[in-house]
Amino acid sequence: MSTALNEKSAGYQPLIVAFCCNWCSYAGGDLAGTSRMSYPANVRVIRVPCCGRMNPMFVLRAFQRGADGVLVAGCHPGDCHYSTGNYHGRRRLSAFKRLVEFAGFEPDRFEVRWISSSEGDKFAEEMEQMTAKIKALGPNRKMRDARWQSVT
Amino acid sequence: MAERNLEQLEKIREAVSQDLLSGRIELLLGWEKGHYWWQSRPLFASSEGDLARLTWDSFCAVNLSRYLLDELKDHQKVGVLVKGCDSRAFNRLLQDNMVQRDRVILYGLPCPGILDYNLLAAEAGSKLKGITEENGQVILKTEDGEIEVNRDEMLMVKCSECLYPDPVVYDQMLLEPLGQKEVPERFKAVNELEALSSEERFAYWEKELSRCLRCYACRQACPYCSCRECFVEQENPRWQGRAYQPSENFLFHLVRAYHGAGRCIDCGECQRACPVNIPLQELNRKLIKDINELYGDYEAGVDAEKEPPLLTYRPDDPAAFSEK
Repeated sequence: MSTALNEKSAGYQPLIVAFCCNWCSYAGGDLAGTSRMSYPANVRVIRVPCCGRMNPMFVLRAFQRGADGVLVAGCHPGDCHYSTGNYHGRRRLSAFKRLVEFAGFEPDRFEVRWISSSEGDKFAEEMEQMTAKIKALGPNRKMRDARWQSVT
Repeated sequence: MAERNLEQLEKIREAVSQDLLSGRIELLLGWEKGHYWWQSRPLFASSEGDLARLTWDSFCAVNLSRYLLDELKDHQKVGVLVKGCDSRAFNRLLQDNMVQRDRVILYGLPCPGILDYNLLAAEAGSKLKGITEENGQVILKTEDGEIEVNRDEMLMVKCSECLYPDPVVYDQMLLEPLGQKEVPERFKAVNELEALSSEERFAYWEKELSRCLRCYACRQACPYCSCRECFVEQENPRWQGRAYQPSENFLFHLVRAYHGAGRCIDCGECQRACPVNIPLQELNRKLIKDINELYGDYEAGVDAEKEPPLLTYRPDDPAAFSEK
């Protein structure tokens, strides 16, 4: 995390990892950028081919290495570039979200959203909301790797 | 000794020895007595002499189907004694294309449940020397005399909550089927945990998982963990850190459970194999419960033809996240 975000005067700044599908959500993020919309710099975007590509270990590793919240964003159901990737992703991520909550994570820490490539505004809005929710929850200590203490 | 029924054992031995001697099967997977009288370990019988050690008692807990993964490499045709859970494990392996149906002969053994030695020993109080069984009662022989207890109360948790004591797939049923039995609510523990707050749940799991030795016995015993290379041993990327710390234990247990999503047959072998008594089945059952709730009832392993829920989808599926 950049030092600017960690200045005491800025208060607590969460780190959010957003896994965005290449075809919709990542393009949605691009559109937000080219349309000069702003969204919090707390969000780090990682591009994945499809939300069906999501390996649950991506999410857990993010939590281990400093993420306070993880968001997975994919195409709206029915719009998948690979036809059925997000249908499968929806089932898998639903089961996984429930499991993560069962293990003791707050429900807001891990979210899944559908953002299309034409929804730059929605992308910015979701990132705002996610950041606000995680800010309210405070830093995540669950599953944090003991050798990976963040500066906050 | 703990022989449940010598008559049953003779029947089993007769049936399998015929097949073994005639060459119908090259190897039989069964059970033999282990080091202690309350242990029955896997028996790999390839001759009449080996069959003499065969046993069928109230301690044959080990799931034999899992051993097919190795034994089918060296043998063309293998016979397996299957209890209800072993047969569902076989269906699991069949669905995963890990075994070939025509290379395996399944001998069905309806199973009245496996006894839990810890419960027996606790009930006995003083030193327990052995047991006998009759009419649904277990007679504990201790140094101070005999104690009679109800058999149903001495079962392993996985057996007292078992839905399918009879094999669901077999070539030859060797004993009389027991029929469906009534079982207590198997998601009770999961429901109780769900009722807690996130913090309490995390504290619970942190405490339970902190005992984990990462011996991976749960994985070795598990019929759905049939990958040739497991993610915990994978070098690149190295998902499972070697450090001994809660974070890595969480990663292992969450991912292990998740890999069984829609596939776990709920046989409870993971929990039985665990040397430090981590309630692993609760993680698996949480996934079973959720998937049943969200995507319709599905009992893994009961019907090998039915598609597992995470391998398919419906366009109008519900989602567990707030946005549909």
